[in-house]
Amino acid sequence: MIPEIGHVLLIGALAVTFIGGCLPFYEFVSKKDYSQSYVKLFSILTVFLVTGSFICLIYSFLVDDFSVAYVATNSNTLLPDYYKFAATWGAHEGSLVLWILCLSLWLVGYMFSKNNVNDSFSSITFAVMNQVIFAFILFTLFTSNPFERLLPFSPLEGGDLNPSLQDFAFTIHPPLLYLGYSGLALPFSLAIAAMITKNIDSLWASNSRPWSLLSCAFLTLGIGLGSWWAYYELGWGGWWFWDPVENAAFVPWLISIALFHSLIVTERRGVFKNWSLLLSILSFGASLLGTFLVRSGVLTSVHAFALDPERGLFILGIFTYFIFGALLIYSLKNTKTQSESTYSLTSIEFGFLLNNLLLVVLAISIMFGTVFPLLYEAYTNGDQVSVGPPYFNILILPFAIGLGFLQGIGLFLGWSDTKDFSFLNRLVIEAMTVLIVINIVLYFLFGSFNTGSLVACLLFAWIVSGNILDVVINKRSVSKIKSFLSFRLGAIFAHLGIAFLVLGIGVVSSYSSEKELLLSVGESYDLDGYVFEFENMNVKRGPNYIADVAILKIRENTKTISLSSEKRNYLSANQETTEAGIVADLFKDYYVALGENLQGDTWSFRLQVKPFVRWIWFGALLVAIGTFISSIKLLRKKA
Amino acid sequence: MHPLRKQRVYAIVTVFLGIVIAMVLVMSALSKNMNLFYSPSELLNSEISPGSIIRAGGMVASGSIEKSSDSLEVMFLITDFQNSLPVVYNGILPDLFSEDAGVVVKGFLQEDGTFFAQEVLAKHDENYMPPEVAKMLDKVE
Repeated sequence: MIPEIGHVLLIGALAVTFIGGCLPFYEFVSKKDYSQSYVKLFSILTVFLVTGSFICLIYSFLVDDFSVAYVATNSNTLLPDYYKFAATWGAHEGSLVLWILCLSLWLVGYMFSKNNVNDSFSSITFAVMNQVIFAFILFTLFTSNPFERLLPFSPLEGGDLNPSLQDFAFTIHPPLLYLGYSGLALPFSLAIAAMITKNIDSLWASNSRPWSLLSCAFLTLGIGLGSWWAYYELGWGGWWFWDPVENAAFVPWLISIALFHSLIVTERRGVFKNWSLLLSILSFGASLLGTFLVRSGVLTSVHAFALDPERGLFILGIFTYFIFGALLIYSLKNTKTQSESTYSLTSIEFGFLLNNLLLVVLAISIMFGTVFPLLYEAYTNGDQVSVGPPYFNILILPFAIGLGFLQGIGLFLGWSDTKDFSFLNRLVIEAMTVLIVINIVLYFLFGSFNTGSLVACLLFAWIVSGNILDVVINKRSVSKIKSFLSFRLGAIFAHLGIAFLVLGIGVVSSYSSEKELLLSVGESYDLDGYVFEFENMNVKRGPNYIADVAILKIRENTKTISLSSEKRNYLSANQETTEAGIVADLFKDYYVALGENLQGDTWSFRLQVKPFVRWIWFGALLVAIGTFISSIKLLRKKA
Repeated sequence: MHPLRKQRVYAIVTVFLGIVIAMVLVMSALSKNMNLFYSPSELLNSEISPGSIIRAGGMVASGSIEKSSDSLEVMFLITDFQNSLPVVYNGILPDLFSEDAGVVVKGFLQEDGTFFAQEVLAKHDENYMPPEVAKMLDKVE
């Protein structure tokens, strides 16, 4: 009964969003009086219906209702309750419902962040959001209904949630990522509303800014968590693989950053209007294209949910409708988007232009590398090709250097023109000092010097000096420093986050050690000064798995650390997974993955020491915090 | 020049330069990092210079996995049910690597006709078949 209620609620939401997606357009054309608007009421209704439907699905998981096909394939009675709950979005169908829920939360968030929504602009924004939600509900109901029953022959026991997904980070990674992805629908809707109601002005830009920041914050958290999860769960010790699905999230992330920077200029100076509109469309387009790539299974990826061309076609249809529709409106709009001010080559406007150019071209190049195998296959009639990670690594370096450089000087540039360039000398001196200090620290930590991390160290020094060091040194009074910091707080956090991220990437890719080898109980191996000793082997029983556990001791100078690494066999699917043993401190991780038993007490191991790897996720967290701070400040200011 | 026009010229020149540089970068990076995919039968009939990095895929032939007892070396055959390709790998195999399962290997052909794998890819789902292998098997049938 409960699954049917969930199904009906979703159909109800379909109906409500259909009306919400059409009615405002009719009213706009017939020049309705907007004094009595229903958009808040409708938004609340949609959220209630979708949440209700989602709760029904969760309930079906918690009570092991295996007559529901989706539950039967993705859960079983042995699964701990917490993971039954999280299994709701563990596969395609349920994650779509979560996606719809995120979209409707954004809708309600926007409508209630404004005191007055009784105007055509809010009304059209509401309509476009409703169309997006409608399209996704339609997609869910027609191609991927999670409430479908297996009757009358329902199984007594379910399959299993993919073991590598039975994990804490996984349970929160998808909701955060989806909030980010779906949040980009809001700047998109605002851009469409601005074009239709001819309000391409700073009011539109200031409405759109906090939401593009907020989606970017959620995307950052989602991507960061995903990277952390892949690091400890997959047993390779890698934190980024340039997998198509990672790229599908990375590209919208880059474009959302470009978007909120461009919107600053549009709001403050009344320029870059067309560009901000285009970016709003592009960012949602990237989010939809990412969805298409992930869901259709056209690309080789670890995440390919299902190889179903019908779903792929449907999403392609949604993509075409929204993106081509939006571009059509864009090209037909006959409002003059007059630039309201001018700028020179040494202005912050030009700095933002470069920032946007670098971000967007990088995003397009990454997207190109990601879909290239598809293009190649179509062009050569079926020859298959893959684009290796080095492509992306080579590509990103010059862009990272350019963006890092801009981050260091950006805060010193003036609107329209920069009059005083004396900051450059100070910056260079400060950055060089930081650079030397870091390299001395690295030398003492690792006993050697590696030039591979030099670029990363330089960018770190430059960004840190430009964003905070110079202010602290050169603003004479404490109150001046304070007012500067509180004004720039979000930006400083986010830029410092990027600095830590870059430093982490640079150090971990040049100072890491790795070795795959065989060890018998009692044997030890010296990996660049860290001695790994294989102490003994145990067997452990979990709720739904049996594990072989290897206990190791790691000795570094006088310190000894104990570490255990597991190989789990999940019973219901008879599937093996590696639970890497990780011991972390501030400067490095010891990472041990257990391979297989060759004979007697001899096992294969992958031993790794990964310095500064935590700094990558710490940096991402700072970026997220910074963007959160900025968006909340903007929302407060408006209300 | 009128400041507005000047500003437009700056913007256009910068964007143009940016795009040209990016295209050069993309093309050069791509030409070095494209790995073509071959089935065992295609490899038999093609003339690939030994040493160039390619990808090959198929099913792991049953009973073909031979593990050394004192090192990490593994040998196995991958097959498309017409021809098979001997693969040598030195390292820890992924959890989902097993007989009669789809696999993709990245590496190069050696002079003796064996394939030296630098990477063995088996994905994170017991039902999963690498798309390349699925398409290849479709073609064979």
